[in-house]
Amino acid sequence: MRFDLHIHTCLSPCAELAMGPQEIVARARAAGMDGIAITDHQSAKNAPAVMECARRVGLRCLAGLEVQTAEEVHTLALFDTAEAALALTEHVYAALPKRKNDPDTFGDQPVVTADEDVVEMEGRLLAAGCRLTIPEVARLVYDLGGLYLAAHIDRPAFSVISGLGAVPEGVFDALELSRTAQAAEWERHTAGYALTRASDAHHPGDVSRVWTEAEGEFSVAGLRDIFARRATRLSERITCF
Amino acid sequence: MLLTELAEKIGGTIVVDNPSANITAAYTSDLLSDVMGHCGEESALITIQNHLNAIAVATLVGNEAIVLCHSRPVPDDMKAAATREGIALVTTPLSQFAASVALQELNPSQK
Repeated sequence: MRFDLHIHTCLSPCAELAMGPQEIVARARAAGMDGIAITDHQSAKNAPAVMECARRVGLRCLAGLEVQTAEEVHTLALFDTAEAALALTEHVYAALPKRKNDPDTFGDQPVVTADEDVVEMEGRLLAAGCRLTIPEVARLVYDLGGLYLAAHIDRPAFSVISGLGAVPEGVFDALELSRTAQAAEWERHTAGYALTRASDAHHPGDVSRVWTEAEGEFSVAGLRDIFARRATRLSERITCF
Repeated sequence: MLLTELAEKIGGTIVVDNPSANITAAYTSDLLSDVMGHCGEESALITIQNHLNAIAVATLVGNEAIVLCHSRPVPDDMKAAATREGIALVTTPLSQFAASVALQELNPSQK
């Protein structure tokens, strides 16, 4: 099976408003994905809508969020159910700065339904880091039965390596490489973790342009087993945009 | 302090100009959440954060200029956003510490 575990929706201030649930699901299917995960910055509020859309067409979809920790490291929390992802969202919301989102500076943050109707505009500042540290988020994620990944470890900002200098052992289930990273260059930085590659799509054209492949079940338990066996294969990187 | 004066003190190169900048303070930090919490208006942000989010945060807190240390390259999207938002960008070969020392007269607590 092939999967893309890092996709933003229009809720992320930096994502295009065209990243609605139906667009994402259609693009992921067209790219041949068996499973995807929805991971907006600091919130899982659009995960239920994408899961509903995915369910209609038989695409597997995990509910997640990209948590920006106190260390300003981007990490992915992935769950089987929207309820668990929304429970983590409440913890993250409580740890966000009091400042409100300024749509002109950061972008709009619409919460939408599966039919792409706008329910509300999220007013919190999702572009900011929260006060929870990586170990604190990891504890919450594992208590809620989720997977915890370090996002785009190859990037020069907002990655576990740029922020902490190295990948801490025993915290994550797997590490993610961005679409341009050369896997061979990063294998010595993995600290024993499985590697994944994901699109981190913010625009429709980027959805599932890169992916990860493995034999197994697309669920938290299935992926945990795959990661424990380090049985992932990554798609080729993309060098031009 | 004018931008040209600031650039001169740190041996800097002005990448995005802002001739009307009136820099009255400076703050040094590489953690953008800390910048959001503590950096005041009319200030120069001394940092190594050479990416788009630094401009968004600078806009939010009311920075006049960003000083990028260790001659970090300025990505095109960061340059474009800084131009759009009217935030000056200066690169310097100095470290954050050395740049801060060179600009110590902008330390708010010394006024």
